[in-house]
Amino acid sequence: MKPLAPISNTARIALGVLFFVLFFAAWGYATLGGYVSKTFLASPLTMVEEGWLLITRHGFHADIGVTIWRVVGGFALAALVAVPVGILMGAYKPIEAFLEPFVSFARYLPASAFIPLLILWAGLGELQKLLVIFIGSVFQIVLMVGVTVSGVRRDLIEAALTLGARGRGILVRVLVPASAPDIAEILRLVLGWAWTYVIVAELIGSSSGIGHMIIDSQALLATGQIIFGIIVIGIIGLISDFAFKWTNRRLFPWSLA
Amino acid sequence: MIENLSRIFPGRGRGAATRALEPTNLAIAINDFVTIVGPSGCGKSTLLRLIAGLDRPTTGRILLSGTPVAAPGPDRGMVFQSYTLFPWLTVADNIAFGLREKGVPAQRRRQVVREWIERIGLAGFAAHYPKELSGGMQQRTAIARALANEPAILLLDEPFGALDNQTRALMQELLLGIWERERKTVLFVTHDIEEAIFLASRVVVMTARPGRIKADVRIELPHPRHYTIKTGREFSALKARLTEEIRSEAILAAASQ
Repeated sequence: MKPLAPISNTARIALGVLFFVLFFAAWGYATLGGYVSKTFLASPLTMVEEGWLLITRHGFHADIGVTIWRVVGGFALAALVAVPVGILMGAYKPIEAFLEPFVSFARYLPASAFIPLLILWAGLGELQKLLVIFIGSVFQIVLMVGVTVSGVRRDLIEAALTLGARGRGILVRVLVPASAPDIAEILRLVLGWAWTYVIVAELIGSSSGIGHMIIDSQALLATGQIIFGIIVIGIIGLISDFAFKWTNRRLFPWSLA
Repeated sequence: MIENLSRIFPGRGRGAATRALEPTNLAIAINDFVTIVGPSGCGKSTLLRLIAGLDRPTTGRILLSGTPVAAPGPDRGMVFQSYTLFPWLTVADNIAFGLREKGVPAQRRRQVVREWIERIGLAGFAAHYPKELSGGMQQRTAIARALANEPAILLLDEPFGALDNQTRALMQELLLGIWERERKTVLFVTHDIEEAIFLASRVVVMTARPGRIKADVRIELPHPRHYTIKTGREFSALKARLTEEIRSEAILAAASQ
């Protein structure tokens, strides 16, 4: 292997799939071979079986739908607020000086620690779940978008100035388009984190969703169901990641990314 | 046009301030092609940035047709050494950028863009993004973008500095051809003596720190100029003379560092 030497597309896919195969093989070997107690870890076959039952008998697809709705809803709310604020913060230094210290502080407040408080404020309904995701995502997005916008190449701004662009023109026609691909990339990243928050929110005081199913299964020692739930989250994450990447490539064909 | 202009960059920490540009006077006639040549660090780029309004002078002022210059504006078009085309805009939209900022109607914009694409020999590339163009093509587009705005003066800061020799020679001819047809006022900064003589009707030689004007030479070579004049006797004599002027400066500059 030479450092940084490219590999063919077929080899890339084959190697990627190989890891999954090895992973499931090792898991199957450990469980089906009787090396790990069934109580603690279900075999891949049990997992698939229990997963199938979950969907056909217990309406698990409804839980999946609820969880997706919560993630997308909370995340969309956060993005709607955070992207404009982040852009303004990146573009205007007084706004940055005003907001940056607080946002940097708020970013470290763990969203999961807010859950008891949010339950007091918003009850156990959907609003509370959305708020957990909102709090978990909004400060991260503001800060990262701000840094991206303030890092736009100076010479592009200077070129625009010598072409007659002024304040608003620079903001709308230089800073925003120049940072748009990076902002999309930030959203992709934070959406991944939002998935973590939603499960935590659903583990506590919830009556639906993937997280709720996982907590229920724990009481029944149904490790197959728990693992099935976790894998479902992984698959949805992978799909949304692909969708984001695909959309970004379509939206920003000029970008090198 | 330039009166007593100077720029002193304050020192960092306890470091001494940098006198980038000593008080300088320079008058540029309308439709003249003036090149400023000097060793690196002689303040020639600083002078150009001051005229563009991208930097503020420590003393003195700049007058453009009698009006003092305070900020960047579309009356002073600029082409930078780095590639500053907006990567998210096509060639056509890049050229139209300044017109759009001015509020020129779309139909007129399209017409101007078409003319300029023709003039810089990029027919068929109107819908290409900058990343799909070679360095020479990008700089041609940058020149068209600046000139489409019809500035009173065109400022060029070593625009061909990053290009290979062959491309650079072609670009010089293209720029000179445009000037011979359009008769714009041009101020062109370079460290390449041959380039300075070939393009200019007047060469200004600057000294190294602190930057001052050392010599001011009219170039009486006839127009239209063909690249073959670069090997002619008159050209060689001018080149020898200017090389000597700059060489002594470069030695001083190297010794003082």
